[in-house]
Amino acid sequence: MSTAEGQHPGADNEATARLTITPGSRIALWLGNQGPARSIRWLDGALKTVAKFDPNKTGRAIALAAGSTSWLDLAADRARHAGVASAGVQTELQLDYLGWAQIVAAATRHLGASTILVDEASRPERWVEVAAIAELLDAAQLTHVVKLAPDKDVIHASRIVGGQLQTVRVRGTAVIGVRIAGAPVDEYPTPMPATSMLQLQLEMLGLDPVVLGHRSQPPRSHQPKKTVERIAEHLVVHLAPHGAR
Amino acid sequence: MAAVLVHVDLVGDRPDASSLVALAAGRHVASSWGATLYAAVVVHDPHHSNVTSNHDDIAATSMPNVPGLAQAESALARAGADKVVIAVSRGPISPLWSAVGNAWRGVVDHLRPRLVLFGADAPSAAELGPRTAARIGARLLLRARATGIDDVELRDRDGGYARVGDGGAAVALIGRAPALDLVDDDCDVDVVVLAMPGEPDDRIELVTSSPAEIAYASGTMVVLGDDVAADPRVIAGARRLARMLDAHVVGGAAAVRSGAISNGGVIDKTTPLAPELIVTIGGVQVDVAGATSVIKVGASPATRIAGVDGVVAGPVEAGLAELVKKLEAS
Repeated sequence: MSTAEGQHPGADNEATARLTITPGSRIALWLGNQGPARSIRWLDGALKTVAKFDPNKTGRAIALAAGSTSWLDLAADRARHAGVASAGVQTELQLDYLGWAQIVAAATRHLGASTILVDEASRPERWVEVAAIAELLDAAQLTHVVKLAPDKDVIHASRIVGGQLQTVRVRGTAVIGVRIAGAPVDEYPTPMPATSMLQLQLEMLGLDPVVLGHRSQPPRSHQPKKTVERIAEHLVVHLAPHGAR
Repeated sequence: MAAVLVHVDLVGDRPDASSLVALAAGRHVASSWGATLYAAVVVHDPHHSNVTSNHDDIAATSMPNVPGLAQAESALARAGADKVVIAVSRGPISPLWSAVGNAWRGVVDHLRPRLVLFGADAPSAAELGPRTAARIGARLLLRARATGIDDVELRDRDGGYARVGDGGAAVALIGRAPALDLVDDDCDVDVVVLAMPGEPDDRIELVTSSPAEIAYASGTMVVLGDDVAADPRVIAGARRLARMLDAHVVGGAAAVRSGAISNGGVIDKTTPLAPELIVTIGGVQVDVAGATSVIKVGASPATRIAGVDGVVAGPVEAGLAELVKKLEAS
């Protein structure tokens, strides 16, 4: 991996190679701390969306991931395919929504990003990180965005809330959770080690792993329920309230 | 005394049904924990003095003129609130943090609650719930329910919980609560009216809002497989389940031909779906990768179940009927 110092002429991701750490209005895409739960389709869709902000591949749009090496390799590989620069924070920490948000907030400050997109759909727990990142950055927030179009200093977005489709305009510092799919992907090549990814360390971001550990949350086991009773118990929290049916 | 705060969305002049579920959960928890239950609504009255005020502090103020507010207060009192907080916002209300976040933040800062509840399906929950949790550094429970009789606790389906002895605050989006015996008559409740400082966040500007035809990126979907799309008993069961879950029934061309769904509900195996819950019935080939939770009904034992939350194996009709029956009984 490259380091955070200056240019990266040897990198195989052209966009990452052009990346310089200077304050400015960079667009970051938070890909999360684990790979997609079921398919990389939504990851690709989010990358394609952020690539719209950087049509000339100058490194203005950058994908950010954290977690294990294998996940960072996949994130860097898909970012390279989309022509988007990438940065990663390798860590073994298992954190809750606010712990990861602290890492994203610190990393985006370091990268000089003022707009942060979040891939909400690849993992079920990620959408709540949108609000946490926004709170830490004192940014505006928007969740459940299904369409996004940059237009100079304004972003036009469509979002779904309940049965309503809202269209909004976004200006200034904002964190936007996107649910935008890429093309269906059945299989994809095994990612190569992420040589093109800008490596960020927690320490260089001003974060102490011990302090972050206060937000630790062990991964929860996930066994599919196989009896009608247990499935009904799972569904009961989705029942429409009386009066709404 | 500790405070349990419930955010209540108003839909027209009535409290939102999901918010009332959260209030019921709050009542159970507050009674068990010895806490005071606050129900808070954020309202806007363009003629209220707070709109033109430039005070930076939260202050008691006069009752705003909002249609139906008195009835809403009464409904919240009957639903168990000890106190009703009416937060008067300077900007119009919409279910966005940018619109009501400043006013809501004022309520939270003012009351410093130990537990904050939202209806999981309430219009503002997705925008306000997680941000509230982040603001107060709280644990966040999604689709939680109140359980227990004497020692009531909140539990979400991922194993998260909030109990009386916990340190720190928690925020929960409530999916289910035991029913309360509502008080029939009007009952007295303390009402606190607060003028909230701060303007709406103009970085987000709502341009239009219109009904979405079928929301593929939120809510719940029931997907009918082609192999069962002509079976009237399965169709009836799917519709019943969809009604209970406030879901859309969708499917392939065979489901349209049988009249089980309309043309607008046609999906294929590449349609991108990212709702909160998908229930598939029969042999369904759809892309569920974006869904938060997936349940399969009538899957064969050979079905791939990676990333699936539950599988009702065996004959579709029997499995579906049993599931619907269990849910109705709950």
